[in-house]
Amino acid sequence: MEKKGPDTAKITINGRVHEFCIGRDIEPSETLSYLIRERLGLTGTKIACDQGACGACTVLLDGKAVLSCMTLAIEADGHEVITVEGLGDNDPVIRAFAEQSEPGYGTAMQCGFCTPGFVMATKSLLNENPSPDLSEIKQGLSGNLCRCGCYPAVARAVERVVEQEVK
Amino acid sequence: MTTPFQPRKPRQFVGTYRPKIEGYQKASGSSEFLDDIASGLRFPGMIHAKVLRSPFPHAVIKSLDTSAAEKMPGVHVVLRYDDPEIASLKPTTNSWTSFNTVSYDKMYYPNHRDRKVLGSKAHWAGDQVGAVVAAETEDIAYEALKSMVVQWEQLAFELDPIEAMKPGACIIHPEINPQSNILPSEGLCGPDVFRVRGDVDKAFATADEIVEVRSDYHFADQGCLDTRGCLLNWHKDELTCWTNLYQADQTRMYISQMLDLKLHTVRVICPYIGGSFGRSNTGDQSFFIFTAIAAKRAKRPVKYKHTRQEDFHDTRNYVDWSLKMSATKDGSITGCYFNGIGDAGAYSEHTIAALKYMTGFEMDECLLYHIPNMKMEGYGVYTNKIPSGCKRGIGNNQLNMALFLAVELMAEKLGMDPIDLTIKNFSHEWEKPPNKSVTALLREGSKRIGWENRLPTNQGPLIDGTRKRGFGFSLHDGWHTAWQEEPRGMVQLGLKLNPDLTVILDAPMAETGCGSNSCAVWACADHLSFLGITPEDIKWVEKADTETGLKDMVQTDSSVSFLHAELMPEAAVKLKLKILEMATKKFEQPVENLDIDDGRVFLRSDPDKHMTIREILWNETLVPIPILVEKLTPLDKTGVPFEATFAEVEVDMELGKIHVIKIVQLNDCGTVMYATGAEAQLIGGQAMALGEALTEEIIYDKSTGLPLNFNWVDYLIPTMLDMPEVEPVAMEVWEGAGEYGACGIGESVTTCTARAIANAVYNATGARVDSTPFKPEKVLAALDAVDQAGHSEKEEVGN
Repeated sequence: MEKKGPDTAKITINGRVHEFCIGRDIEPSETLSYLIRERLGLTGTKIACDQGACGACTVLLDGKAVLSCMTLAIEADGHEVITVEGLGDNDPVIRAFAEQSEPGYGTAMQCGFCTPGFVMATKSLLNENPSPDLSEIKQGLSGNLCRCGCYPAVARAVERVVEQEVK
Repeated sequence: MTTPFQPRKPRQFVGTYRPKIEGYQKASGSSEFLDDIASGLRFPGMIHAKVLRSPFPHAVIKSLDTSAAEKMPGVHVVLRYDDPEIASLKPTTNSWTSFNTVSYDKMYYPNHRDRKVLGSKAHWAGDQVGAVVAAETEDIAYEALKSMVVQWEQLAFELDPIEAMKPGACIIHPEINPQSNILPSEGLCGPDVFRVRGDVDKAFATADEIVEVRSDYHFADQGCLDTRGCLLNWHKDELTCWTNLYQADQTRMYISQMLDLKLHTVRVICPYIGGSFGRSNTGDQSFFIFTAIAAKRAKRPVKYKHTRQEDFHDTRNYVDWSLKMSATKDGSITGCYFNGIGDAGAYSEHTIAALKYMTGFEMDECLLYHIPNMKMEGYGVYTNKIPSGCKRGIGNNQLNMALFLAVELMAEKLGMDPIDLTIKNFSHEWEKPPNKSVTALLREGSKRIGWENRLPTNQGPLIDGTRKRGFGFSLHDGWHTAWQEEPRGMVQLGLKLNPDLTVILDAPMAETGCGSNSCAVWACADHLSFLGITPEDIKWVEKADTETGLKDMVQTDSSVSFLHAELMPEAAVKLKLKILEMATKKFEQPVENLDIDDGRVFLRSDPDKHMTIREILWNETLVPIPILVEKLTPLDKTGVPFEATFAEVEVDMELGKIHVIKIVQLNDCGTVMYATGAEAQLIGGQAMALGEALTEEIIYDKSTGLPLNFNWVDYLIPTMLDMPEVEPVAMEVWEGAGEYGACGIGESVTTCTARAIANAVYNATGARVDSTPFKPEKVLAALDAVDQAGHSEKEEVGN
């Protein structure tokens, strides 16, 4: 990475390098979720508990899921952040969640407020383990709350991503 | 793997398995929720309002010094309770209505106007009192509130409704009832003894068997991911409100009436909403009013949004039901006497509806009607706890807990299968038992759960030395059928056919997740199939907007899934006629000689003479064709369908932990409007109900009256790992009136789960857990009670 001034944070977000002057562009105490949503307008990342308990704000930091409400923006200095907006229009995980309609499972979302968080947690899970079984899926996504209770359909959607990748 | 649902009447789109219309938008994070709109990037200059909250359960502000806050940099407005504009606001409630549009005079509970928009008396720890700050950031607003010097006079407080009813208890709302904490009667729900039929005392005196039970259902939070809030913005004298409470038209009426504004100067917009689960039924929130006043003074857009802690704001109504039931040897239930105590918490909200309306005017009519002797009595009581507002399945879940405990025990006494006892006795007013819907659900449920494997109470083997297995079920009436929706008044629907044969569908609602928007699109595509279009050609107008749209249908339950759909046949007829009228010129034939199908207009006498509709429209003025339909829902009293939950559980006899192995959730939907959506409700409802049954509980410190777990670390909402196997069974047995004759299912799917689990625990172990949540300590105490009863029985035999 290029050299940067001592008071700047250089964060790659969805492939674009941003340089933030700490104290002017971002506050040292501000969360990554605040930076993403309120400064950059990337509102796909949702805030539901703001206390690290629900997973709605999940983003990828160097490919791994982090709770952006519990991560300081400056902690992302020198790292790569991917939000749901960074996944691309034909992302297989987004598609699988959107299209889930197999009988017996319901839709993979109802209100949809938790869904981008689930999508990002799934990306992280699949980065670590490209072919998780059902119990690994459940374990991997157990940090995300869906109050509408679409868990079986979410798990099924992830299974379908895995099945398609294997093909 | 469950058997896919087969519709009674196959249609091309309604009743099918399909992805949600907004699935991609939601999965990709591009659907807009309140927070995504109410941002400084979209509204430059937007500031944040926060309200002072009481640190005590019952206290009065004696003095309030706000001077430091007023001088704090970044603070734009400080509103005080003694500000003349604030102090002159009318007393109100947060529950003017649950689904229709009502004015101040017509609010549901005019005798319970127990709220001030911003007063000086706190009725629970967390109550919003004293002052509101609007500042550059939320942090500054909180700092400003912290800087205020408040002198509180602490008052005695009551947390227990039974204690609060006793003479000598501190009076919580003397302005409502100076003598007692018992809520005064309300016209909507009747007197204390609110339902009497026949003579229960006589029934009890002549019965072969009597069962007496008591159960309670606790406060449980709705737990929507999208916390409540609003953004209010003035432009000269016109006010625009964006909110994630789901009633646009009613919110406009509420704001207009509270602030004395003309309706056309208030515009309310509801975007996608991250869950509701009943919380929006208390949508007439004071925060709209103080935020509007702050915005006017600040001359800026002001956002008010709860934190997770603040969103523990009102809950399911706690009700403690006692029930005495009598029956004759042949299994006829002859009498029921219900006596309920409803803990209102700090404000009455919908307490009385949960306690009396849902019980007396809904369940008695729709479930208990053929029990000849009935008495129902209920008391709502103020305490200094979180207000009990409204949650999915209001009132029903609570009563079901008591009712199907009594059924289980009565069946045991009579030596009957509880399923047979249920089929013999329960139905709605318009069908004598055995009710077709009840019978079909219970027979199907028994098959799917393996009811034949159920052994008599506590007779099963100990599995691996620690666990016992059992089965239970519970039944309830469905509600939100078309005729029950009469108080809503006219349903409105608009269509615009574009000249390229795409459709703009104005079926106004705030989409909370129920899938009603998808249902409206499926019904539209079915009825406009003569255009040769598919759902992809239909754009549902996604925001409910009081200025540009029609009257929104409030998402109580998933009944909106069929309310707009019922208007679609008329809309289709009107549209067809308009197209044919345009075609008359081209064909030089009168309308009656023409017909339309599959995207073409043709001559009836010679179908080979045809033109595509697109051709006709495209060569006209290119003005879209508008259609407006306004109609009451079909009001024929067709009764209601039912729903049932079956549970299979294992109980760990040493740890007291209940392991739910399988749930079968069955709903007679009348017509399944959307198979995938219905299954999502059937399954998802179990996640919520399991939380209520097993883990979710608001915990108070009894010595200080402070709630201890207003957060999602300690308030335990089920995760994916906590879900048992759930088999969703959407059925079509009952038939309502109208094109679809459907019944909402969104509320009822949560009603029977806790009781079905508790009955399964009883079946497994003989232990009765009659108070939700069934935490291990309660299960262990109940198991101990069974052991002790067993010992004393043995001693008696020995003696």
